[in-house]
Amino acid sequence: MNRILKIMGFVVAMGVITSTLLIGMDVLTSERITRNEEALLQSKILDAFEIQYNTSNIYDTFTANVEKVELTIDGVDVPVYRNPDTGSISFEIEGGGVWGPIIGVLTLNEDLRTIENIGILAQQETPGLGGRIVEIPYLAKYEGVVFDPIVEVLKEGASAPNQVDAITGATSTSSAFQTILNDSYEQVIPAYQATLGGE
Amino acid sequence: MRKFWIKIQYTKWFNITKDGLFKENPIVVAVLGICSALAVTNRVENAIAMGLAVTFVVTASSLVVSMVRKVIPARVRMITYMVIISAFVIMVQMFLEAYFPVIAAALGAYLGLIVTNCIVMGRAEAFAVKNPMKYTFFDGIANSLGYTWILIAVAIIREALAFGTILNFRVMPETWVNWTVMALAPGGFFVLGLIIWGVREWAQNFEVAAE
Repeated sequence: MNRILKIMGFVVAMGVITSTLLIGMDVLTSERITRNEEALLQSKILDAFEIQYNTSNIYDTFTANVEKVELTIDGVDVPVYRNPDTGSISFEIEGGGVWGPIIGVLTLNEDLRTIENIGILAQQETPGLGGRIVEIPYLAKYEGVVFDPIVEVLKEGASAPNQVDAITGATSTSSAFQTILNDSYEQVIPAYQATLGGE
Repeated sequence: MRKFWIKIQYTKWFNITKDGLFKENPIVVAVLGICSALAVTNRVENAIAMGLAVTFVVTASSLVVSMVRKVIPARVRMITYMVIISAFVIMVQMFLEAYFPVIAAALGAYLGLIVTNCIVMGRAEAFAVKNPMKYTFFDGIANSLGYTWILIAVAIIREALAFGTILNFRVMPETWVNWTVMALAPGGFFVLGLIIWGVREWAQNFEVAAE
């Protein structure tokens, strides 16, 4: 009995000490981590809008050159970023991949249908297969693809303007990505168009 | 001077360090932790960052295990190592994400997977739990540096052949054609295999088949 109590006491003490340390570490770093994540999002959007920046002035360049439109979709705030010079818009897309969420930035032309750029912020796909979704040459294939009314990611023979080739050997990632793109598009664009009509 | 050197060779800490770096090198001799050794060695900077992260985790977790070795109940010792190791890995991950986001992104999932690196658990069970803190410190440092130097050696060869650079400095002539295979996992296997062969041949460390 005594031995069981000793083990329990040890486990509880260990749990308390390690969680205190981790909470302390989280308090120390969370602000910087959030700021880094924001900077990553802003740099992807600036890349998509082809606006020059360097690592020290991301925030200033971003606030000076990008307009933020706040949409509320089903009670959730969704920011849409707009380039006032060209009329292209960027917004975050998110959804489930094979091993974890895929988070990215989708940039559309001023016609709100043609893809200008896609950037990936976070993913946990299989390295070497689905993980290739972050590669610039693969994402470049999406440039100029049109939501008509949806984008199709095909295993082979992408020919129509709304079709694009999948990643070889990564069927699940490719179809998940197709769902993410179309769902986000359907969700954000009507709401965005509604705000334009209201102005 | 010579006398001093001979004296050092008979100290315990010197032998622990030598074992970790060469004689019982975790990668070359024990073949532990090769998952990350294959995955992050396509660039020298990634290998250095991974080596430093593992060095910190191995040394810190071994020290803590050694510190509490007399209070750990034998029945829950594995889970205790696991909790201590995970806590340190999460801390390293938060630190890198906060201050070196580029390196954290390059190491990706492998940073969190230090938890499953057999070297960390191996040193806790094989050494730290039976030895005082001062020797555990040398053991942790020596083993993780043994891991790090192999990683860096593999990465230097792979980066030079795959990208023509070392730490992003051009080392190959402009006409060099990059060997793409070296940037992929098979290249890691080839180079790591050759290095293990080379070091074992040099150290005359051969495995003897059981009778």
